Amino acid sequence: MPETEHKINEIVERIVDVHGKTVDAVVPILQAIQEEFNYLPEEALEKVCATTEITPSRITGISTFYGQFRHQPAGKHSIKVCTGTACHMKGASKVYDAFRRELNLTGLEDTDSQGLFTISKVACLGCCTIAPVIRIDSVTYGQVVPEKAGGILQDFLLHKANRKLDDLPIEQAEPNGQGEIRIGLGSCCIASGSSEVKSELEKTLADARIHVEVKQVGCVGICHQVPVLEVVKSGEPVAYYAKIKPEEVKEVVLNHFRPEGLIHRMKLDVIGLFEQILNDGSPLSVRRYQAEERGTPVEEFLGPQMNIATENRGVIRPTDLEEYKRSGGFEALSGCLKELSPQDVIDVISASGLRGRGGAGFPTGRKWQLVKDQEDSSKLIICNGDEGDPGAFMDRMILESYPYRVIEGMTVAGFATGATEGIFYIRAEYPLAVSRVKEALTKCSDAGFLGENILGSGFSFHIRIFEGAGAFVCGEETALIASVEGNRGQPRIRPPYPALKGLNGKPTLVNNTETFAFISWIIRHGAEAFARIGINNSKGTKVFALAGKINRGGLIEVPMGMSIRQIVEEIGGGIAKGKSFKAVQIGGPSGGCIPASLADLTVDFEALIEVGSMMGSGGMVVLEEDDCMVDIAYYFLSFTQSQSCGRCTFCRIGTRRMLELLEKIRNGKGVPEDLDNLEHLAGSTKRGSLCGLGKSAPNPVLSTLTYFREEYEAHLQGKCPAGKCAPLISYSVTDECIGCTKCAQRCPSEAIEYTPFEKHVIDKEKCIKCDICRQACPEDAIMIS
Amino acid sequence: MHITIDHTAIEVEQGMTVMQAAALKGIEIPSLCYLPGHSNHPSCMVCLVKDLDRGTLFPSCAMPVADGMNLSASAKEVMEARKEALELLLSDHVGDCEAPCRISCPAFMNIPLMNRLITANRNEEALRVVREEIALPLILGYICPAPCEKACRRKKVDEPVSICLLKRYTAQDEAIRKTGLEVVSEKSGKQVAVIGTGPAGLAAAFYTLQQGHACTLFDKNEQAGGALRYRIPDDLLPKEMLDADIESIRALGGEFQLNYPVTGKKWDKEILPGFDAVILATGFSEEHPVDEFDLPILEYESVIHKKSFASGKPGVFGCGSIISEQLLSVRSVAQGKKAALEADAYLSGETIPRRTPMFNSSIGPLKEEENKEYMQEASFEERTDPGSGYLTGFTQDEAIREAQRCMHCDCRKPVSCKLRRFSDQYGVNKRRFDAAERNQLTRNLQHDLVVYEPEKCIRCGLCVEITQKDGETLGLAYIGRGFDVRITVPFSKTMQEGLVKTAQSCVEGCPTGALADRTSELVNW
Repeated sequence: MPETEHKINEIVERIVDVHGKTVDAVVPILQAIQEEFNYLPEEALEKVCATTEITPSRITGISTFYGQFRHQPAGKHSIKVCTGTACHMKGASKVYDAFRRELNLTGLEDTDSQGLFTISKVACLGCCTIAPVIRIDSVTYGQVVPEKAGGILQDFLLHKANRKLDDLPIEQAEPNGQGEIRIGLGSCCIASGSSEVKSELEKTLADARIHVEVKQVGCVGICHQVPVLEVVKSGEPVAYYAKIKPEEVKEVVLNHFRPEGLIHRMKLDVIGLFEQILNDGSPLSVRRYQAEERGTPVEEFLGPQMNIATENRGVIRPTDLEEYKRSGGFEALSGCLKELSPQDVIDVISASGLRGRGGAGFPTGRKWQLVKDQEDSSKLIICNGDEGDPGAFMDRMILESYPYRVIEGMTVAGFATGATEGIFYIRAEYPLAVSRVKEALTKCSDAGFLGENILGSGFSFHIRIFEGAGAFVCGEETALIASVEGNRGQPRIRPPYPALKGLNGKPTLVNNTETFAFISWIIRHGAEAFARIGINNSKGTKVFALAGKINRGGLIEVPMGMSIRQIVEEIGGGIAKGKSFKAVQIGGPSGGCIPASLADLTVDFEALIEVGSMMGSGGMVVLEEDDCMVDIAYYFLSFTQSQSCGRCTFCRIGTRRMLELLEKIRNGKGVPEDLDNLEHLAGSTKRGSLCGLGKSAPNPVLSTLTYFREEYEAHLQGKCPAGKCAPLISYSVTDECIGCTKCAQRCPSEAIEYTPFEKHVIDKEKCIKCDICRQACPEDAIMIS
Repeated sequence: MHITIDHTAIEVEQGMTVMQAAALKGIEIPSLCYLPGHSNHPSCMVCLVKDLDRGTLFPSCAMPVADGMNLSASAKEVMEARKEALELLLSDHVGDCEAPCRISCPAFMNIPLMNRLITANRNEEALRVVREEIALPLILGYICPAPCEKACRRKKVDEPVSICLLKRYTAQDEAIRKTGLEVVSEKSGKQVAVIGTGPAGLAAAFYTLQQGHACTLFDKNEQAGGALRYRIPDDLLPKEMLDADIESIRALGGEFQLNYPVTGKKWDKEILPGFDAVILATGFSEEHPVDEFDLPILEYESVIHKKSFASGKPGVFGCGSIISEQLLSVRSVAQGKKAALEADAYLSGETIPRRTPMFNSSIGPLKEEENKEYMQEASFEERTDPGSGYLTGFTQDEAIREAQRCMHCDCRKPVSCKLRRFSDQYGVNKRRFDAAERNQLTRNLQHDLVVYEPEKCIRCGLCVEITQKDGETLGLAYIGRGFDVRITVPFSKTMQEGLVKTAQSCVEGCPTGALADRTSELVNW
């Protein structure tokens, strides 16, 4: 036996020992093999089949269904370019092209010649507010522009290539000293440099011997301002420092806290600065906002919000169990176990009017009741954290920041429905969420909140994690269940609903992450309190990922029934760069575009459906005048089309034909009847598809056709009014050009002929429309027409 | 419990599907991916029905019945949705139902099947295939200008297959020629007169006899054959060959009344009263000889309808140049068959046989690489010239060698393919959702018994399930996802390795021609 084969066999045996030999182990086994080899060697797969119940047919079907798996060796590092909605809007495809150019990739190649980097597109990294985003291994870079591609690769290789998971150990609280400084460590914050800020902060505090607790909290929601430092000191209003840089940390610290003793002040060599700050109060160079101060961007952003699912946002440490308990954590669970019957719990949830936050809005209480009513000794609870919508990151934020709250919600659900086992289904693209939930589960088990005989009540409940392997369709509950069972993630017909026949035929409650996050609050405050919030049949609050062409993006939680205008203008601070508000895309690829003229529409389940959109899982992407609606429709449809499981005819072929029609229109080659055909096919795909993915995939097309038909018609005439569709636009230099040659130096295709101090000329034949010149020009002298 | 489909109340049992319930009352719902005894995970969506209470469509094959359901299996919306599902499937389907040669043959002869049978030295069956459509294989084997060869895909590789000579070859052997001339149906006791014994008349008589009717052929000349005998020179069509084909009709039971010009008087006194049906095949004439038959003039100044082959007088039919001048004998022969079938329908009181050709999916021109795929089944030999000259025709070796040049462009499941059957039934427009760029066709011939054509696959997964159920070690697997999903053998193994014991059941289970018997199904004999 050749040595490599021997080695592969050994590794596979070890992996199989860990994950077992049953068919439902297939995804974890494949993930482990890929972790080991960076891809799935065929020999390893054959070995798996030889030693487990997994057949060659199954392993082939599974390993080629999920996007996570590779069958070819990959480069040492993996570059994932996020093509989520927010990133798309801000030029992700140009960023992708730039990295490919940097790596000298041609055709179908995805790995550079030295085998260092493999590049791929990824649906959404959930860091929409710092778009465009790329991730190299576990390091996330935000606000990437095409011309920085080379610099980023260099930075990565020099500084970050050896870092493991982009999480910092969460330390326990130290005895409270002079106050505390909170720093957000959500994925967006980390990508914006919060770990560097944190190191600098700790160094400064140690050097100055200032005893202040540095508290790493979860997502603070103010993602457009990250990294944010929040200084809490008794007797002072809470102060936020936005977009802080490591070199500014020292100044901030010294603004609030006095070092002990003169020696240390001298050691810091900042006496001059220190005295100046304390004495003459000259303005700081950093952006500081006080919490109570009116009219600051932070106050405007946070003011209209209401935190239920995101209760204690920016205050608690994600995996600090003691702190969670101090802030009311597990009171709901212990209350249920001690004082309520399972039926009582369901009655409370029903009375609260809570509806599923995964998109369809099915009444949560009714779903729980269905599961409870099943006579079966083993029922299951699944937390659906397979948030795959481009432009949505609520689940990621909730799992990263409030793992205990979700665990508590699931456990209450388990008690209410009579389930004994829970499963966290979390996207593999959310490594931080996985690691925090893992940690939280261990701590809960140790503390007796999970496991046998919870809190002495006789109720037993266990939770495990299942990492999704990269298939958007698995957000659909029957597909999700199929994937946990070790099958291809293909939805099946309902009925029977999972509540009756779910995982392995057992009654299974599948709720969205956000839904579970509401449970403890509802139990603690009562159904009434929740039902008072909201509007009509949409009660309580909803978490949205607010992103796009907006001044203040972030993770927001607002009462149902708030108007779109209020969200965009008050919370979001209006459209960036003084452009005009055109539309808001709600619900991601299943939703639709709502035009600015309908901005007074309230956000609730029914109202959104009425205008051809839907709540979806809560992505909210704001579009402005420069966004092309045909391009948006194409973007969303190309996403759903690529994510179709391929099972039913209308979705597999219908979405593809629709996309081809859109492509034709986008390229200016459409004819009037293409619009009719597109509309017709969209209608049949909506009616004829088997599952929610296919049934909702046409929404972005239908809604833009309804509200922005004139833009489609312009494309038929060969014009893209927004100047977005590459085949219909061209770049040229205006008379504003001062001849600085900056554009020409950066042009990757040498398409700019230049003489210094004379107006430059773009060779349209050579131009690849990468937009780098326009961004580089200091005089706004590059025109798109 | 009860459900209602198309206003019909149906008593159903818990656990039944809507499709099963519909079948109880004979309500037919089409489906491609449904196969009893399998998991019935809906994929083709051709079995959609409408829930009238909710206004939604759902696949009936997998939907369990629920008490009080009120459904429609025939609403316009339902029919339209099924049709669109078929049209979408067709937009992703690359394959010809029938080979271009057969399509361009006016008689629609099954040429690729004939070639496969010749190759296998199964000459009796080959002749049977020919005679399905062509009653006069020897005659046409000499004089047919062979439009089939102009459409032959082999032409793009080198030269077309010598189809016409191969057809002649099937009837060359006297012993073989006599086989298959037994009367197919039971004797009907009906008498049919065929007036005229040119190619149309002879063919009409042949198929009339095959239907079990007695047939008398009348001709004004002293020998049968009409234009074939009196206009075509001997060096094109040897008289003994003409006689041989006529002899076959005699062998079938045909009575010849020669030297018998059918005058108006004979028509009224002998033909009309003496026969249950008459087929006119008197050929083309400048003056109107048909005047004597006193038939009303129909469209285009003809007395015979060119589609129904019927005249204005019940029981009187016509074919060949009597309708309009035919330049191709093969077309007259084809019309002879059609007129015979019309007359047969008239005599048996059955509904009129279909007149439009069956739905046909066609690829259009192939790309060069695609020709290579098809050439896998063909020999690279040059076109064969008969060693003993054109008039003698092929020897057995030559015929086999030539037949082996056939690229087999046809589908091996032209009859049982459900995609074709329902596309035909629902009158689809196969170009409605044309792909921006059609997939490149491939043909997998790794298996001894099976031809696998992935571009005909509708991804229903039945074959995957069959191989797994029946315990294949490798079997078949899905590869990929979404639009690009394909069916393949795991671990890049061959079909031969994948289908060790389930080749036959996969072929039977596959609803399209994607998995088919290499020889192809033989038409219901």
